Amino acid sequence: MRQLIARRLLQTIPMLFFVSIVCFGMIKLAPGDPVLNFVTPNMHPDDIERVRHNLGLDQPAYIQYFHWLKECLTGNLGYSLINHKPVLGQILERLPATAGLVGISIALAVVLAIPFGLLAGAYRNRWVDKLVNLLAYIGISIPLFWLGILFMYFFALKVHWLPSMGMRTIGKESVLDVIKHGILPCSVLTISFLSSYVRYIRSSTIGQLKEDYVQIQYAFGSNQTAILFRHVTKHVLLPVITLLGLSMAELVAGAIITETVFTWPGIGSLTVTAAKGMDYPIIMGVTLFSALMLMLGNLAADLLYSVADPRIKQTR
Amino acid sequence: MIRKRRRSFSVVIVLAVLTLVISACGGNSANNNSTENSNKGSNVTNTGTANSGDAATDTSTDASQPKDGGNLIVAVGADPDVLNPIYAGDRVSLTIDQALYAPLFQINNGKKTYYLADSLTPSADNLTYTLKLKSGLTWHDGQPLTADDVVFTFDKILDKNQNSFFRDYLVFGDKQVQVTKVDDLTVEFKLPQVNPAFEATLVQLTPIPKHIFEKEADIQKSTKNAAPVGSGPFKFKEYKTGEYVTLERFDNYFEGKPHLDSITYRVAKDTNAANLALQNGEINVKYLDPQDVSTIEGTGKFDILPYAEGRLSYLAFNENSDIGVLKKKEVRQAISYALNREEVIQAAYASPDYADQAHSVLTPDTLYHTNDVTSFDNDVAKAKELLQQAGVSNLKLRFIVTSGNKVQEAVSLYVQQKLKDVGIDVQLQSLDASAFGAKAYDPKATDFDLFVGGYIMGSDPDAYSVLFTSNGAYNSFHYGNTEADGLWKQGSTEADTTKRGEVYKKIQEIIAGDAPIYPIGYTKTIVAFDKQFGGVDEAVLKPVVIFEDPAKLYLK
Repeated sequence: MRQLIARRLLQTIPMLFFVSIVCFGMIKLAPGDPVLNFVTPNMHPDDIERVRHNLGLDQPAYIQYFHWLKECLTGNLGYSLINHKPVLGQILERLPATAGLVGISIALAVVLAIPFGLLAGAYRNRWVDKLVNLLAYIGISIPLFWLGILFMYFFALKVHWLPSMGMRTIGKESVLDVIKHGILPCSVLTISFLSSYVRYIRSSTIGQLKEDYVQIQYAFGSNQTAILFRHVTKHVLLPVITLLGLSMAELVAGAIITETVFTWPGIGSLTVTAAKGMDYPIIMGVTLFSALMLMLGNLAADLLYSVADPRIKQTR
Repeated sequence: MIRKRRRSFSVVIVLAVLTLVISACGGNSANNNSTENSNKGSNVTNTGTANSGDAATDTSTDASQPKDGGNLIVAVGADPDVLNPIYAGDRVSLTIDQALYAPLFQINNGKKTYYLADSLTPSADNLTYTLKLKSGLTWHDGQPLTADDVVFTFDKILDKNQNSFFRDYLVFGDKQVQVTKVDDLTVEFKLPQVNPAFEATLVQLTPIPKHIFEKEADIQKSTKNAAPVGSGPFKFKEYKTGEYVTLERFDNYFEGKPHLDSITYRVAKDTNAANLALQNGEINVKYLDPQDVSTIEGTGKFDILPYAEGRLSYLAFNENSDIGVLKKKEVRQAISYALNREEVIQAAYASPDYADQAHSVLTPDTLYHTNDVTSFDNDVAKAKELLQQAGVSNLKLRFIVTSGNKVQEAVSLYVQQKLKDVGIDVQLQSLDASAFGAKAYDPKATDFDLFVGGYIMGSDPDAYSVLFTSNGAYNSFHYGNTEADGLWKQGSTEADTTKRGEVYKKIQEIIAGDAPIYPIGYTKTIVAFDKQFGGVDEAVLKPVVIFEDPAKLYLK
């Protein structure tokens, strides 16, 4: 086990290196100039060049990259080109908001997806399955920003149950207040996760129901509900672990639209601002962080797999 | 098995609640920098719908008298880049700085109002300006604000290592303005050459406290910017990244205690969502798109305030384009004749109330502006005639547009349709904002012909020279006229106001006749202002920063 963890952690290093090169290359290929953010029409071209030079943006791309890499290896992800604050600090500052939002949405989505997916799989092509499928398709295809606005319109503006935006009432420090603000964005994100999880669990359930152990349970006279929730669930949960591993990347990227619509101060909204301003140190930082989360998520999923199903451990 | 599963679900739920609690407690605490709170009357929790209810009651008792107290929530589109006026260039930072840092003086619609300064006197030769500060000025931390702070600020702006974008404002040719302290309340600016625009320059430069920044090697990256100490009517209270910046009343403000307890600048990135928050009472002041005015007006809760921003919206011709023909004046004039300014404004701004027809390249707030210049009013026959004269037929033009920009998209579609009438085929090319900026303002770009742009250049006409002189740093149109070039130079050093006025009137006529751009409208900014609050007239609506003096705003 320790060897596996060590090997996988070592593998993340070249992967992150590769991700950083691709990301840096793509930023440099994209049109636009970060210096344009600072240019005012009264600035002399010499002053613009001075700013460009001070930011190191007048160097060839590969030198800029090596400079960035050198700093990165010492733990410094650089400074934002826009607000000049340290990149790592900004990511860590925004992380709790995104982690809370995405974490709770994923948890809710899993809790809801398991019974819905199991029932849809067990009653394949029956009305329950069709209804669950229909809702899942709607959930997958509905644009998140539109759903967000719709929720805001109804719950905030029409019935006044919930605040429409932000993470807290201004100047107020209370967990309850944050929860109240989190309900709408969380609901939107949960619907988006739930829809894909349900489809996945449904397919997995259909596959499991054909397995011998299920047929044996039927032969022993067990009823379907007991078979589903006692036996099939355990096997269906295995692929859910994979889904959760993959969802780790959502910690960074998945909430972009929801955070923007609801002005949730997380990493997603930081990414949008950075992308608009060509703030490449932030974009690089967020991308690397996202990639690292994905790799660690996958590693955690694999470890959980081997704990949950010892056969998998043996095959390694 | 069932027990195990229950346990695993419980763990998931506990983890979920924990993550939320962590996010609530940990969220952005790093930026929660509060300065010493000496304001007993501050009540920043009095917001949103609760605020609406309270205020409604107050209004019913006495709506005419300003009351002390209340929190005004202003929507801003992003986080501020930096709350330090020697680096602030973005709209949000400038807006917040307007309340946080008092300026030396302001010029709005030609009217000069002194704030920190008591007077500004030019010498007879116009080479020395003497600035007198008011006495008894203090920073928010109680330290006196003196000539030392002003000199320090200008020294830092001029220091190349400090990276201030305003440095060029104080350098003429290769010579810098000399800034010296005469006494505690007097500063002298010695100019290397006569510059009538110098007052307009000083308007944009706001003092920062020497005692806070003097030991900072790199002010731009200084952590002191996270808890700014200013001299304006409101002092910094807290900043929650991605959420809001709250300023609270500064009781020792030299102009008297402001009415409001606090002002909060709330980040609202999505326009539709922000409009809902506005209607819901979670925001009190917000910029509006013309298309949204009727919805917000319909609530009956807001005053709709359109005001001129000193901005010109224009259709630009890229004379550098590889098709070559846009170098011909007749072709540019023909395109101008093919368009109807009234219709363009209607298409782009929904109503003539939100943009005045523009003919001159100088905006109405600029000294020596005149709209009485050649205007190429819609005349299709004339357009065809000019195209024929220029020997142009079957012309194809490429119009670059920022995708999602309602104004640009509307104008491009209108232009496409109208130019068809004179035999010009317009192809639209949609680009994202970065790509558009990189292309439209690239001096070497030759692969497009038309784009829609806008500028705000301030009150002195000299500032416009960078746009319209042959070697102008921001001459995206690649326009050149040697006679105009000479006049721009003359205008920048002419101290006699009558002669200067004549120079700039001539320049406006020459440029209008050459048609390097098609001026569309002097556009207005539209602000929705919550009717629970008053004092807008006294606070004065100001381009870019909304209110010139937020101290004058009050709860009714």
